[in-house]
Amino acid sequence: MHAGHVISGSGHALLIGWLLFGSFSIPPEPAVEVTNVALVSNEEYAAMLAAQEPPGAATEVEAPEAPEADQAGTPEVSDMQDAQPEQAEPEVTETTEQDAAPEAPVPVPEPQEVTDTAPEIAPPSEDIAALPPEPRPEPDAAPQDVPRVAPQPVARPEPDVKVDEQVQQPAEQSEDAEVEQEEQEATAPEEATTEIVTEAEEEKSLAPSVSKRPQARPEVRQAAVEPEPEPEPEPKPEPEAQPDPKPEAPKQDEPDAVAAALEKALGGGESETPAPSGPPLTSGEKDALRVAVSSCWNTGSLSSDALRVTVVVSVSMQEDGRPNGNSIRMVSSSGGSDAAARQAFEAARRAIIRCGASGYDLPREKYGQWRDIEMTFNPENMRIK
Amino acid sequence: MRHVTQLATAALTALAMLLPLGATAQDGPLRIEITEGVIEPLPVAVPNFVPETPAATEMASQIARVVTEDLVGTGLFREVPASAYISPVTSFSAPVQYADWKAINAQALVTGAVSKDANGRINVKFRLYDVFAGQEMGDGLQFSGTEAGWRRMAHKVADAVYSRITGEGGYFDSRVVYVAETGPKDDRRKRLAIMDYDGANTQYLTDSASIVLAPRFSPTGDRVLYTSYETGSPRIFVLDVASVGRRELPTAGGNMAFSPRFGPNGQQVVYSMEQGGNTDLYSMDVNSGQSTRLTQAPSIETAPSFSPDGSQIVFESDRSGSPQLYIMPASGGEARRISFGQGRYGTPVWSPRGDLIAFTKQNKGRFHIGVMRTDGSEERLLTASFLDEGPTWSPNGRVIMFTRETQGAQGQSSLYSVDISGRNLKPVRTDGGASDPAWSPLQR
Repeated sequence: MHAGHVISGSGHALLIGWLLFGSFSIPPEPAVEVTNVALVSNEEYAAMLAAQEPPGAATEVEAPEAPEADQAGTPEVSDMQDAQPEQAEPEVTETTEQDAAPEAPVPVPEPQEVTDTAPEIAPPSEDIAALPPEPRPEPDAAPQDVPRVAPQPVARPEPDVKVDEQVQQPAEQSEDAEVEQEEQEATAPEEATTEIVTEAEEEKSLAPSVSKRPQARPEVRQAAVEPEPEPEPEPKPEPEAQPDPKPEAPKQDEPDAVAAALEKALGGGESETPAPSGPPLTSGEKDALRVAVSSCWNTGSLSSDALRVTVVVSVSMQEDGRPNGNSIRMVSSSGGSDAAARQAFEAARRAIIRCGASGYDLPREKYGQWRDIEMTFNPENMRIK
Repeated sequence: MRHVTQLATAALTALAMLLPLGATAQDGPLRIEITEGVIEPLPVAVPNFVPETPAATEMASQIARVVTEDLVGTGLFREVPASAYISPVTSFSAPVQYADWKAINAQALVTGAVSKDANGRINVKFRLYDVFAGQEMGDGLQFSGTEAGWRRMAHKVADAVYSRITGEGGYFDSRVVYVAETGPKDDRRKRLAIMDYDGANTQYLTDSASIVLAPRFSPTGDRVLYTSYETGSPRIFVLDVASVGRRELPTAGGNMAFSPRFGPNGQQVVYSMEQGGNTDLYSMDVNSGQSTRLTQAPSIETAPSFSPDGSQIVFESDRSGSPQLYIMPASGGEARRISFGQGRYGTPVWSPRGDLIAFTKQNKGRFHIGVMRTDGSEERLLTASFLDEGPTWSPNGRVIMFTRETQGAQGQSSLYSVDISGRNLKPVRTDGGASDPAWSPLQR
């Protein structure tokens, strides 16, 4: 009896087990494609999966678990082989990664290409010529199409910073002040670039970053990527454009150095004059004055005629460093008509008054040296911007 | 470099020491040289003009608005917003509080007043101040006109302000004739239209029954030359702007006559004509209708444009194999090539100042509007796009207007303008699609 019970029990248990296991075989049926997999070789299928959507395989695996209960009663189970493809499927998803790597070369090698290009392509002199200027422009100081052009580029101010008509100094706590001052942000300097950039030039500067990648690919892969010849000619114009600014720079330096020497020497000469007060200004102090006036000398609204005129303007200064507005006179002008000279003089006068409104930073003990100043406004450099 | 500086310093110091007396005599001012400046829009304040009669209240603020838009539109000026003003201007004759305007960095100040008399005529007067110098720039001016012409008076004020500050002529009181386009690219309707330089007051001069091309103003702005297909093949017509009456010009035979342009005296027209498969340039006396052949080359010569003094003609020719720019005497004769860069050059137009030639350039699949000196030097490309063409100069030679077309079947033509420095590139407002602009001289 016991033996019979045991045999019967284990037999039923087996049957139930088969029923339960058998139920797994049902769900895959709707996914008819699975049987097709058997027709395709495992490797091919793996390659297909790799090429298409690996995640798709995962969702198919999960699906079967849900219908378990529904299929408990249906005894169409005889196909034991069906259960095998089931196991095969998860395997497939696992193997895809291994298989895909060797078989589907398209996605994987790409990163390698990129790493290869840098060393291989960099040597050509054309690219090198194009590269160095790039890093500098990329920070905000790039010559962009910004309304203000100044000797020193100014990055675009933070969005929440105020560029205002009224220039404010940042508030500082003073010890002897009784009234508490409100915190006040300094007025941000307006964004500026160092030269005018036309639409045509803007495009040129973008060209290298666009053209470099296509150039690399054909060389490394030597594959049938056809647009090889097209990208190559493109980089050529850039070096053409580059050399222009370079030779100009040293030219500007030379006169500067000579002018500096001249000034040093002249400054020395002046020191011997029996000026009533103070030693001569140092070149640093003169430079500070020059830079201060420069920052207000706006040639943007001058006609091209007025931009050919060099004017010499005299101004007498007050002891607090502020120019005496009524004392500003045009001493001489050269290079253009009287009308053009008048515009040039007016721009110079605006520069002197505006930037001196709160007093130039000049050493008071040397007042005698800078009581009268003659400024030469030479717009030669401003014409070529 | 260092050595040079040191040597120079040493030498000059020695010199200076040798001349102590001379130096003493120079016991004068401190001398510095400024060679670097900034290029930025000049802040200008144009408070609402003061209405001197109640009927002029609305017009007073509108005129100030147009003056501001004209000035700011050049890219050379920046508006100081009214919200920053410290002291309002309530009277045209009251003294200006320079300190208040200095404080808000208004470098130029324009004040004005508007009145309307019993006959309905509008009087506009204005003054311009250099705020930091604390003085008026030039004398006040007054204009008078009909109510309908108020925009012209505003433009005239802006022209005067622009001219006094920059030192060159204005261009605001001018008009533009162009081809107005409607419909899709494959069935585009074209008619001639005329508008103020800023896109206001558009009027249509022809209907869209036949294709019209390339309108060009006469030197006085009262007539327009253009090419029309109304007889089947392109012929040249002249149209009177005021009456909109038109007539065909008697060109010297040939199948196609096109690309006409007036000479600076208004009596001469230069144009292209195709005859037996060859296109050459001809010159015609408008009164007699007599044409003279200017070129004899077997190549295509077209797009002629006179120098402002009328002595020379710049044109486009493919005699070298690709379209390039050439200059020849106005009476014909040997031409010299001036364009030598890469790509193709076309539609040259001589600047009214005489110093520059604007052109269209096609290179590597992109189109550019550019300028070069009349000897071909200092070429400078101002724009770059899918299709830019047909430059025309503002009356003062400072701004170029041109056609820009966008890519694709839905591509639209529109007008753009750019300063000759390459700055201030912007679209010109038109009603619908527009191409082939031609700028008039300043109106009288």
